[in-house]
Amino acid sequence: MSDLIQASSRDIDGPLLVLKDVTTHFKTPRGLVRAVDGVSFTLDRGKALGIVGESGSGKTILSRSIMGLLPPRGTVRGGSITFEGREIGNLGRKEMRSVWGKEMAMIFQDPMTSLNPVMKIGRQIAEPLQIHLGMTKQNAWATAERLLQDVRIPEAKRRLEQYPHEMSGGMRQRVMIAIALACGPTALFADEPTTALDVTVQAQILDLLGEQRRDRNMSLVLVTHDLGVVAGHTDEIAVMYGGKLVEKATTKGLFANMKMPYTEALLNSIPRLEDRSHTRLSAIAGRPPDLVNPPKGCRFAPRCPYAQPKCQNEEPPLVPTAEDPNHLYACWYPVGSPENTEIKVRIAASKSEFAAAAGGN
Amino acid sequence: MRYALQKIGQFAIVFFIVTFTVMILMRLGLNAPGDPARTLLGGTADQELIDATTEKYRLDSNPFVQYVFWMTNMVQGDMGFSVPNSQPVFDYIQGRILTTLLLGFYAIFWGLVIAVPLAVRQAHKRDSWFDKFGSGAAFAFVSAPAIVLAPILTILLIKENTIGMPPPFGDFQVTIGGWFPRIGDKVYPWQDLGEHFRNFFVPTLVLTLPIAAIFSRLLRGDMVMTLQADFVTLASAKGVSPRRVLWVHALRNSLFSLLTSVGLQIGGIVGGAIVAEQFFDLDGMGSMLVTAILQKDLFTVQSASAILVGSVVIVNLTVDLMYGVLDPRIRHARAIA
Repeated sequence: MSDLIQASSRDIDGPLLVLKDVTTHFKTPRGLVRAVDGVSFTLDRGKALGIVGESGSGKTILSRSIMGLLPPRGTVRGGSITFEGREIGNLGRKEMRSVWGKEMAMIFQDPMTSLNPVMKIGRQIAEPLQIHLGMTKQNAWATAERLLQDVRIPEAKRRLEQYPHEMSGGMRQRVMIAIALACGPTALFADEPTTALDVTVQAQILDLLGEQRRDRNMSLVLVTHDLGVVAGHTDEIAVMYGGKLVEKATTKGLFANMKMPYTEALLNSIPRLEDRSHTRLSAIAGRPPDLVNPPKGCRFAPRCPYAQPKCQNEEPPLVPTAEDPNHLYACWYPVGSPENTEIKVRIAASKSEFAAAAGGN
Repeated sequence: MRYALQKIGQFAIVFFIVTFTVMILMRLGLNAPGDPARTLLGGTADQELIDATTEKYRLDSNPFVQYVFWMTNMVQGDMGFSVPNSQPVFDYIQGRILTTLLLGFYAIFWGLVIAVPLAVRQAHKRDSWFDKFGSGAAFAFVSAPAIVLAPILTILLIKENTIGMPPPFGDFQVTIGGWFPRIGDKVYPWQDLGEHFRNFFVPTLVLTLPIAAIFSRLLRGDMVMTLQADFVTLASAKGVSPRRVLWVHALRNSLFSLLTSVGLQIGGIVGGAIVAEQFFDLDGMGSMLVTAILQKDLFTVQSASAILVGSVVIVNLTVDLMYGVLDPRIRHARAIA
């Protein structure tokens, strides 16, 4: 009965997830922290979206806001979140429980702390199956074994009887993925799923996520600080800074034609293999903005090498590029614009002048 | 298994040191230094009887021989003779041991029954009024040991008090208290459950309230930490009900301090039982031990303390083994150690 109601209310053709002006603020003794401040985007079924930003940009809070996993006390939420045609932005934890694990699932950053240390792996995977799909314990454990095989864990049957401490970090992250996939969710949120892992394991986990996403026609939201991670594993990228969306485009479009100086700075901070050894790593100077009292104009202006007086005073709107209506950015002097090029030339000139002066000495 | 044997060995050593020290101390001093039999028999005993007693209990031999002799006899049920009570120590203890065991069991049991749900709810609703009230109450009872609580509860529950108001507020009088007997003939649960309850209620309360307070403070603290762990959020994100998150995922990960404290409190309960039994005239091992020490009833003191030390040691041994049951990581570490 309830299944029918749910099925009929589902909007099968529309986008899976629509965010309109989503805000998440936290009440703290210091004041209101605007962790997520007016974010809008649309995610289609089966697509992978990367949310990129440094620590404190609001990317994790955004993904948890969508899932409704934030502590209710002290959290002020606003805007609208539509999931499968249903408004979920205002639902409480109680109402979200039937969605959690079943339609939306989440993978956490640190596999060392995300599994219950005193519960067998099998039981942890079987739990959502028993809760949401009403499986018997036996069926749930059999399904859990298949899930472990799906995430490429050898000797799945033996592993079910083990505890988390008997597994490596990569293995545990695979178990996390198996738990997340258990009930066949339509949306999977992966919050820095590879940050705590060895570099060699990172690629395996990302490939596994991509492969499961295609097999299951599931949407994936990949939250990370690493543009390199999202480059090969997403269809679209949203860049966040200071709780706001500052650029959003298809992955190809973004790398081909990035507009936002922040995105450019993020890309430049990835070390390159072809660089000479002992090349200084380029970091973004300064700190992320204080979200209690954010800067008046563009939030990136204090750290932006191209910032002009206008940037300090007026907040740039999120606008589409001339070439691609789906490529949005928020910047007064985007990368590639005449003003930006002019400033770049000036910076380069002053640098070489400085170098010449230093060399002449 | 090897771990368990190791622990049993450790606790056997503790048991030996404590009981042996008690034995040696009982042989020293008292009324007639170096002559335990004279002390034991009192001042008027004749030399013949003293010599016979010394001979019978090997009181003049080397302390280790005496110890082995004592323990061997005790295991066989012969704990010597209590002169002031004119009966074998075994019979004397047998009539009283159950009172103290019941009192100790009730104190721990009700302590847990009160503390666990309270602490879980407090941690769940952290910083709410319920939590603040619970913490305040716990703090009050932690600071009120048995010796403070006993007179207060006597006034409130055992004595009858008439409360009245002076005329301007109306002339009424209410009598409260007198609900529980002060001097109860011991009634065991299988004799009359209701009477047993009335009998044991106040002494149990005196022992259990401070313990419940300590338990709830410890468990609340651990639980608050656990509830911030990633795996708890993951459990919610799987769609597990809040109740199950609390009681299945979080509780078992938060029990370590509580478990340790159960072991430690057992020792405290022996002390509390002495107070409660004295105060409420329940004749158990606690009051017996005090009387025996005052009467210089050597064999009773020896055997009663051996039994009390033995129980404390056994409970702590169980606690140590329980860590492994609670946490597979400890089991694992012990298996390879």
